[in-house]
Amino acid sequence: MEGISKRYGGVRALEKAELVVEAGRIHAILGENGAGKSTLIKVMAGVVSPDEGRMLLDGKEVRFAAPADARAAGIACIFQELSLVPDLSVADNIAIADPPRRFGLIDRRAQRLLAEEALARAGAGDIHPRALVRDLPLSRRQMVEIAKALASRPRILILDEATSALTAADVAKVFAVLKRLRAEGLALLYISHRMHEIAELADECTVFRNGRNVESYKAGTRTDAEVVQMMIGREYSNVFPPKPQRSDDAAPPMLECRELGWGGRLRDINFSVRAGEVVGLGGLDGQGQRDLLLALFGVLRGTTGEVLVDGRPATIASPAQARSAKVGMALIPEDRKTEGLMLPMTVRENLSFAVLDRVSMAGIIDREAEERLIDEMVQLLAIKTAGIDVPVGALSGGNQQKVVIAKWLMRKPRIILLNDPTRGIDVGTKQEIYQLLRRLADAGAAILFYSTDYDELIGCCDRVLVLYDGRIVRELEGSGITEHALISSALNVEAETRGAAA
Amino acid sequence: MSEMTTERQPARRLPKFLHGVDPAVATAFACILLLLAFGSFYSTSFLSPEYLLQQLKVASFLGVIATGMMLVILLGQIDLSVPWSVAVGGMMACAAAAFGPAGEVLAIPFGIACGMAIGLVNGIGVAYLRIPSMIITLATNAVAQGLMVVYTGGFSPQDSATAAMRWLATGSLLPGVPNAVVIWAIIGAVAVFLLTRTTFGRSVYGIGNRERAAYLSGVDTRRIVMVAFIISGALSAFGGVLLAGYASKAAQSMGDTYLLPAIAAVVLGGTSILGGRGSYLGTVAGVILITLLQSILSVMQMPEAGRQIIYGVVIVAMLLLYGRTPPVR
Repeated sequence: MEGISKRYGGVRALEKAELVVEAGRIHAILGENGAGKSTLIKVMAGVVSPDEGRMLLDGKEVRFAAPADARAAGIACIFQELSLVPDLSVADNIAIADPPRRFGLIDRRAQRLLAEEALARAGAGDIHPRALVRDLPLSRRQMVEIAKALASRPRILILDEATSALTAADVAKVFAVLKRLRAEGLALLYISHRMHEIAELADECTVFRNGRNVESYKAGTRTDAEVVQMMIGREYSNVFPPKPQRSDDAAPPMLECRELGWGGRLRDINFSVRAGEVVGLGGLDGQGQRDLLLALFGVLRGTTGEVLVDGRPATIASPAQARSAKVGMALIPEDRKTEGLMLPMTVRENLSFAVLDRVSMAGIIDREAEERLIDEMVQLLAIKTAGIDVPVGALSGGNQQKVVIAKWLMRKPRIILLNDPTRGIDVGTKQEIYQLLRRLADAGAAILFYSTDYDELIGCCDRVLVLYDGRIVRELEGSGITEHALISSALNVEAETRGAAA
Repeated sequence: MSEMTTERQPARRLPKFLHGVDPAVATAFACILLLLAFGSFYSTSFLSPEYLLQQLKVASFLGVIATGMMLVILLGQIDLSVPWSVAVGGMMACAAAAFGPAGEVLAIPFGIACGMAIGLVNGIGVAYLRIPSMIITLATNAVAQGLMVVYTGGFSPQDSATAAMRWLATGSLLPGVPNAVVIWAIIGAVAVFLLTRTTFGRSVYGIGNRERAAYLSGVDTRRIVMVAFIISGALSAFGGVLLAGYASKAAQSMGDTYLLPAIAAVVLGGTSILGGRGSYLGTVAGVILITLLQSILSVMQMPEAGRQIIYGVVIVAMLLLYGRTPPVR
């Protein structure tokens, strides 16, 4: 791959990235969240097409318009999220893209043989091809996924966090399979956050940062500390407002969680947020941070444990209860396009949507009161719009995000939950949001803030809770919030080395 | 700045009086004029006030029913229980009329209440039990049909409409203006107010656009959906009451011819079948358009089969014409 670039809106996900993968080698890719690893793989697998640059396969330039093209060229992908259909059998799933046919009908016998062979190659010969995928435990499904990728007889196999759901025994099995495949001459691309896995498996490593490949090196020639250093880089592009000194106050925390849990996804969550405090949620993507915010906001059903507001137990079973005057909670959701806004509706309608009950009498909207509040907010947040009656979808990403935030600020919330509010927006707006957060905290709000950007957590937060696998594994405070501490606790490196030593 | 210029461009291309009018609504009104012009080739009486008023009167029955349908479609749902909600409304009102003077008074409210009951079942099914609206409304339609067959024993009911029902459907309080048209105008005005000025209306549009975003904004989305279905049931039943008044009695299949026209009128009026977008003015245009089309086809003495074919083809053609305006992304 040469000089591959990909833009999403105004954001460069990949910038002139280069990568050379050789047959018979296992190539590991490392990088933080949002470093461009996933985008790179999506380009290779034909899921997205690059804006510039070219891909060479055996020295010939190739272009993939669709995943099927990449498949035909011998590139198979195993993604982090499972792509199996739960209600079909293992064999059906393995052959789903191109089942063997006889007279136009699926040849079930040939399909079962094919599946058996693929499962054997994946080292999972104990899985019956006729079993339903839904009946298999998660780790077995992952093995089926690998078998499915192998069934198309690929020459390049890409594994994106493919072992994150596996037990240690299964990981060992997968590694044996991968090593055998390497011996068979396949090129393997391996993405993982687990450093020791990479050390065990990889022949070569490439580190990505901010959409660029930083360095490639032979496995074993760098120490873990050096690799972490490469992943972080030394680019501070964001400016943060100063953090005030905090004095201890005796008031009960505005928000407190005791033993909060949700199925297997959240466990033993204990923390508290005081008025005037900005608390960050850190860790790798998808370790339960989103679930935690949704659980607090009353979206998830079947949560256990206790949530206290102002020191008193509160039952929050729906967003309507969460936003009530007694609780005063607001959630800035993760995806503004599907969760925060109604894009075709106007700026006015979006801004006042969460506050309609306060600008109406007996269900009839008081347009003047509505307009006053909106004007106030548009000015406060400096939302750039051609008017309040244009569709909110016509605004830039940063201004859309401001509308999402403004819509909740209109309720004057006391507890503000933010789910990655700066994703995909420009630097200028980001800085405005940082300053806004600090102003809100100074005015007495309690803020819980999840971000995938470590710089932000360091710059904005008084404390950071690092989550791993649905648990809070570490709490960093004040000057203890450093990139090194964040990354090492996010990767759970210390715990793993401790576990290995014990 | 660039946003501002791109925003203004489409408006500049339209004549001034059309500023702010949805292109789909404008197209629907243009089609009405076209149909009238086409009809006047057959008979000059097509443009006479008497004929137009008569069409408006016929249209008001459909208009009342389509108002409820529009509310449900704006939510991104559909109400297929219209045929038998209409029939239940008409038949139950007539049935109540048989019970002496008290029945006479309560006939209309009772008919509407029965429709609301059907809507309530639909609403609970869709909002709380998460059954797809296409399934649950079809099921309640079948149940309503079964109940009515049991009640009448399979024959057309003998009870006749009350004087009040007849007066609402055929009388005229204002000289020259049929009461049915006045009723549609009142219901339409209430609907416009509901959709544009109330939290309920705002929530309906919000849910239709992004139910998830509306829910996360703290709106009780389930209650709104349920209320919308109840209103739809009530208006269907009220349409049935008017139709029974118009024909002096209720009939088994009186609602059958109102399902497709109601949906078509709403969608032809520019309301997105996926929900979240549309104006009541468009529905008015759609209702008149459908009524005129039916009328012209019958004036042309087209055989029934040909009428059905042309009717269906025209609806599909018009939907292709403007029913698929690209959504804002």
